Amino acid sequence: MATRSSTSSSADRLAPLMAHLLVGVGGLLMLAPFWFMFVFATHSRTDIFSLPPPLWFGDASLGNLQILTSRLPFWRNLGLSLYVAAASTGFTLLFCSMGGYAFAMFEFRFKRALFALVMGTLLVPSFMNMIPTFMIMNALGWIDQPRALFIPGAANAFGVFLVRQFVIASIPRDLVEAARMDGCSELGIYWRIVLPLLRPALGTLGLITFIASWNNFIGPLIVMRSPEMYTLPLALRALQSPVDTEWGALMTGSAIATLPLLVLFMLSSRQLIAGLTSGAVK
Amino acid sequence: MGQVTLRGIGKRYGSTEVIRGIDLEVQDGEFMVFVGPSGCGKSTTLRMIAGLESITAGELLIDGKVVNTLHPAARGTAMVFQSYALYPHMTVAENMGFALRMAGIGAAERARQVGRAAEILRITELLARFPRELSGGQRQRVAIGRAIVRKPSVFLFDEPLSNLDAALRVDMRIELTRLHADLGTTMIYVTHDQVEAMTMGDRIAIFHEGRLAQVGAPLDLYHRPANTFVAGFLGAPRINLIDCPSAHHALWQQWLQCQADRPSAGRAAPSRLGVRPEHLQVVPVGSGVPATVVMAEHLGDCSILHVQVAGIAGLFNLKSVRDSGTFAAGTLIGIAADAASVLAFDADGRRLA
Repeated sequence: MATRSSTSSSADRLAPLMAHLLVGVGGLLMLAPFWFMFVFATHSRTDIFSLPPPLWFGDASLGNLQILTSRLPFWRNLGLSLYVAAASTGFTLLFCSMGGYAFAMFEFRFKRALFALVMGTLLVPSFMNMIPTFMIMNALGWIDQPRALFIPGAANAFGVFLVRQFVIASIPRDLVEAARMDGCSELGIYWRIVLPLLRPALGTLGLITFIASWNNFIGPLIVMRSPEMYTLPLALRALQSPVDTEWGALMTGSAIATLPLLVLFMLSSRQLIAGLTSGAVK
Repeated sequence: MGQVTLRGIGKRYGSTEVIRGIDLEVQDGEFMVFVGPSGCGKSTTLRMIAGLESITAGELLIDGKVVNTLHPAARGTAMVFQSYALYPHMTVAENMGFALRMAGIGAAERARQVGRAAEILRITELLARFPRELSGGQRQRVAIGRAIVRKPSVFLFDEPLSNLDAALRVDMRIELTRLHADLGTTMIYVTHDQVEAMTMGDRIAIFHEGRLAQVGAPLDLYHRPANTFVAGFLGAPRINLIDCPSAHHALWQQWLQCQADRPSAGRAAPSRLGVRPEHLQVVPVGSGVPATVVMAEHLGDCSILHVQVAGIAGLFNLKSVRDSGTFAAGTLIGIAADAASVLAFDADGRRLA
């Protein structure tokens, strides 16, 4: 009995240790590519391929940046990426919040059918959209135009669904009716009452949209032709070739491309999650 | 002014008719209570007056003007919701001033009017807080304040006290009654609580299955209910009703005798008789109708006895003011009814006048 209890207690102590070890190793494996990206960004191509490879920061970052900017309109690509991601996020938040709110709160003809249609678009594989997207953008004359990247996705099924569920779960109908009785117009109710309360949902949706747009490779590949209209993922890919790839410059570009997301993530963690509706009813 | 007239008001959702032709006149300055069991249509009727539900039949007039299709904000009504419905992202002052802001009134004037309403409700120190920082009672005051600020001609209350605890509810009941006296504005108040209805209303409208069962002053309804539904709905413990099939029984005979003793004798024979628990007395065994105490609830100031009368299914309620605490289960007693207060109903449940 005594031995059994002692073995079980040592096993009890061992289990969390093993778990921590496992998570630690996993974490290291996840972080290693990032680490090497930042480290390689500060080394020249020859340093990178030396043995053993550099594990700590070097001093070639400025040189890398020079190569980067000479081979690519890098700052323009970066600006375009930011512009497309910001516009995508703005438009998505606006239209998805409107759509989700309407589907949650209003009664109108064909509501169920329309909602089913919107949700049905989630079932279409994105690859099936590639050629139609190109044809439509071509017909509109939007090839090589940034709007071809942020207008088509402005009202998407995922966003509409996310907002609709949030409205149903946490915006009481009484609030909308109270505002209506207070003389607020329908647009005013959406803007002054519903939108502020949607902040947690919009924060999540905004973050997801921004990241998706920032990392989007296929979209720009389909609609962008000239290198100065490339967004970052496409531009950095253009830096690679089978024979002459400037790995240091590529890593510098990648590192710079990662920074906005890191900043965004640090800024937006807490307050987006905090429930704003507490105290609304009861 | 705040006169509300309902002419044959009806509401239908698809093929289900939930409100069936309500005719009602609420006088200017009156405190009218809509009461009834859940699902009786009282809240729907209130929401139709507010403009939050469409009216599918009849006419709604406020101050003589048909407002059936008028926007809720243009009807001159203000509503206090059961959930309070305060805007969570606005301070108390912003909540109360929201309607004024929507009406395009400047910040200074808004602050003045909000301040005055806050004084009436004694919530001045809460103006800078957010709803989540308030207790239930405070939120209720803010919700009322938001209605007051609009200076409506009619206040609409949708079960405003049902989220409060019992003690606070009594306080707010008194406060609302005083507020009505101070403002003199028409108030329409929906509740399922008969105590609120009896104590607050100038008149009560009792709803039953989408119709008005009876409208009148509280005590009128209590003493002269139009039908068995009203008689049963008002009063706790419930009125005792006894059916015709037990006509041979002593209790029926005794109550019938009570009826016959009254001056307005010689009308149609009743098929149901009703007597309220406080109108039944305990008399010594041997006199009155013999009964057995099944359960006694001693409340201190009185006792409620549930008694079994031989030959009658179901228990009778008796409210005994004297002899509190002397009745145990199984005690044999005699019961007798007040001659004047026995009510008689016809086969359709209507009271025989």
